Amino acid sequence: MLFMAGCTRSDERAAIPNKDRNVLHLFNWNNYISTETIRRFEKSCDCRLSQDYYSDNEEMLAKLAAGASGYDLIVPTSNAMDTLIRQGALKPLDKSLLPNLKNIDPSYLDTPFDPGNKYSVPYAYTISLLGFNQEKIKELGLPTDTWAIIFEPRYLEKIKGRVTVLDSQRELMAAALKYLGYSINDADEKHWKEAADLIVRAKPYWAAFSNTSYIKELATGNLWVAHGYSNDMFQAALDAKKTGRSFTIGYSTPNEGAVLALDSMVLHRSGKSPDLAHQFVNFMLEGKNSADLTNLLGSGNPNTEAMQYVQPEIAANKAIFPSRESLARLEMLRDLDRKQRRLLSRLWTEIKLR
Amino acid sequence: MKRNNTWLWSAAALVYAFLYIPLAIVVVYSFNDSRLNAEWVGFTLSWYKALFNNAEMLTAAGNSLIIALSASFSATVLGTMAGLAIHRYNLKVLPVLVFTPVAMPEILLGVSLLLFFLQVLNLTLGMVSIIIAHTTFCIGFVAIIVRARLQDMDESLFEAARDLGASPWQTFRLVTLPLIMPAVVAGALMSFTLSIDDFVITFFTKGVGEPILPIQIYTMIKVAVTPEVNAISTLLMLLTLVMIIIAAKLDAHASSRDAKTSS
Amino acid sequence: MSKGDLREGRVARLLVGGPPFIFLLIFFVGPSLIMILTSFRFPGEFGGLAPIAAPAASAESEHGFTPEAYQFFFSDLLYGEIFFKSFAMAAATTFICLILAYPLAVLIARSEKRFRNLLVLLVVLPFASNFLIRIYAWMIILGPESALSQFINAILGVFGIGPVTLLFSPFAVLVGMVYVHLPFMVLPLYTNLEKHDPALLNAAQDLGANGWQRFWQITWPLSLPGVFSGSALVFIPVLGMFAVPDILGGTGDILIGNLIKDQFLGTRDWPFGSALSIMLTLAVLSVAALATWLARPATGQQG
Repeated sequence: MLFMAGCTRSDERAAIPNKDRNVLHLFNWNNYISTETIRRFEKSCDCRLSQDYYSDNEEMLAKLAAGASGYDLIVPTSNAMDTLIRQGALKPLDKSLLPNLKNIDPSYLDTPFDPGNKYSVPYAYTISLLGFNQEKIKELGLPTDTWAIIFEPRYLEKIKGRVTVLDSQRELMAAALKYLGYSINDADEKHWKEAADLIVRAKPYWAAFSNTSYIKELATGNLWVAHGYSNDMFQAALDAKKTGRSFTIGYSTPNEGAVLALDSMVLHRSGKSPDLAHQFVNFMLEGKNSADLTNLLGSGNPNTEAMQYVQPEIAANKAIFPSRESLARLEMLRDLDRKQRRLLSRLWTEIKLR
Repeated sequence: MKRNNTWLWSAAALVYAFLYIPLAIVVVYSFNDSRLNAEWVGFTLSWYKALFNNAEMLTAAGNSLIIALSASFSATVLGTMAGLAIHRYNLKVLPVLVFTPVAMPEILLGVSLLLFFLQVLNLTLGMVSIIIAHTTFCIGFVAIIVRARLQDMDESLFEAARDLGASPWQTFRLVTLPLIMPAVVAGALMSFTLSIDDFVITFFTKGVGEPILPIQIYTMIKVAVTPEVNAISTLLMLLTLVMIIIAAKLDAHASSRDAKTSS
Repeated sequence: MSKGDLREGRVARLLVGGPPFIFLLIFFVGPSLIMILTSFRFPGEFGGLAPIAAPAASAESEHGFTPEAYQFFFSDLLYGEIFFKSFAMAAATTFICLILAYPLAVLIARSEKRFRNLLVLLVVLPFASNFLIRIYAWMIILGPESALSQFINAILGVFGIGPVTLLFSPFAVLVGMVYVHLPFMVLPLYTNLEKHDPALLNAAQDLGANGWQRFWQITWPLSLPGVFSGSALVFIPVLGMFAVPDILGGTGDILIGNLIKDQFLGTRDWPFGSALSIMLTLAVLSVAALATWLARPATGQQG
């Protein structure tokens, strides 16, 4: 029994007591659904939405890989969903219960890791891009439409110690690979080495690897350029505006292309209320409910019906809602196999230590 | 002696300042009328209001208190026993069992306990699994402190008690326990703070559908550090303070009674 | 000792040592065995672990047991380097904690009895607040616009030394580490110092020993058990810590804790993560054994 650890054939353990029959268990990011939306859903289904939170896809994957069960719905990002599908951890969707699926923009359907959307329904997306202090960057005469600003010493020397990049092996490598003209999913060891060299060369100019603190540091003016997620940049720009800064925070997707992180709703095999789960997915596909999230977080929205409810200044933001040609340059991360993961991990350790 | 004391007081005051300056920032910004923990904008209680309207957060705080109190209680009892046993009897295996969990990275303890609960014990995850997990990593901390207290303790005290015909239990109750009490209290306090704030082990050993405070806070911070978190932290400290003062009052009452009977 | 005493001793030993022994045997040794086994397995293709028995028709090509994770560890000096760096950081943290904690512990131990618990409580209280939020507070204190940064740079400026950045540096990591672990040093020190008989110090003073001599010849040697326990409680947890270097560290601040975390929450390489942890635990235990061995003559004298 002990040796099942890796397989994640979730056994149907732990019968949920009766009083919990009308509870939908959602394993989600914190603050990734507005309280208004929850209230409306609970009213419409006469049930209770109970959420458990993770702060990183990997936490969720590790917990499920060890055999944790009882979650009806999960909201993984593309590459984590890739993993869950390949592990056989998900329940196929019953499309007849999801009439609102028609609301989703077809460019976000039929992804390479879930052809035909057998398991997943897009929820929201973010783009990994560049956020910057607009006035400062203009004053220094630096470009904002290319990854060169975080990789090329000739630009970096003007902003030394005022730059952070994401503390994520995949994200940072993806940016470097894109800058070098490769795909973010390129797994050629030679290309990886090239990307690692690029990173090591630029590293002395960066202040830190940062996954969250750049939001505040940008908004306070301590940082001038940050590699980060579009919804975080939205937040930073909002914060800077609200506190009446003398500068503004801009953000844009580099021309070389970037990572598109599409979060989707999927049903875990161990879920006890698949009917309720479908009801929730269909509910979230309604334009208004889907728009709530975008208005709350500034996340991208794959739902065409939602656009009429999205605040106009968000809807007009090209860094949040990319144009067709910009969208074509975005890629979603695929999962790596175990050998590649170990190799990348060693490269990453080396990068950090050098 | 006096001059020595001034020196000591100023050194200690500096260390207390080191401990409390970050804390002052946490508390002050919990009243700040800006989402950004960056500069003072204006006074507000809105973060506290938001907190008290957040049912999930309040449930989480309640759950976490129950867990922290249970885990620190069981860790203190077991850890004190372990510390005594290691000191008194020349044990070989117990010290290793007690001290290795302290040396084990929490992520490893979290994942391995989760595997163990699910795959070996077939346990349903819930409050109990969290309490067990927290107890496991707190025992060592208590035992190490208790043992440090017992070392070089005058053994003649225990012998005298025995010679006077005290049973082992009486010796423990009337001689040993009062002597090691500061260590027991310190161990309990340490376990409580370790438990109430642990994210990694709690994340892995918690069950479905019960909010736990550190999980709420950590996953929230990953998205953004809002003053709401400062407000929770402030309240938590206040609550801890109140609880400990009540415990101290009760204890002072009991010990003054003890002192009277024993003198 | 009579026969009856012996038997009583054995019963007491069982009663006192038994419960923690059994609890840890189940809830610590059990999980640890799983992890030791894990370190000898293959990581699963998509995370978790590869099966032990050969799969019939699955994507998992490798199965069974392997020393691969350990070979990987020794295949590169990289990991040894991180171990060394982490132990140096742990030693520095322990040393600074000791220097900061000692006067505090002495003060608490010598203060009036009714104040003692309050003073101890004041040490622990900040730790009832959230860990991360305290670290973020240090980001504010060490940030480039903070009063501290500007003060230090103003002083350095007088000597013509260019401005230094405090945040995102090994220094910031050290400050964070010391801050987080300080109570673990204060508490054992205090509980040890509290039992010392002040009469000893007075006697020494009567014999003409000055403050310094009294400290080095009486207080310090007597407090060694407290020093050792405190050092263990600081040194060891520092090694597993990843949040402090993550938040306060710069681009080069990676410690063993980060590496282990990465194997579980990043690379999904549980076998290598387990192997790293086992190597770390072994290293810690050998340091502890060495310390005990070195400390033996010192504590023996006071016996």
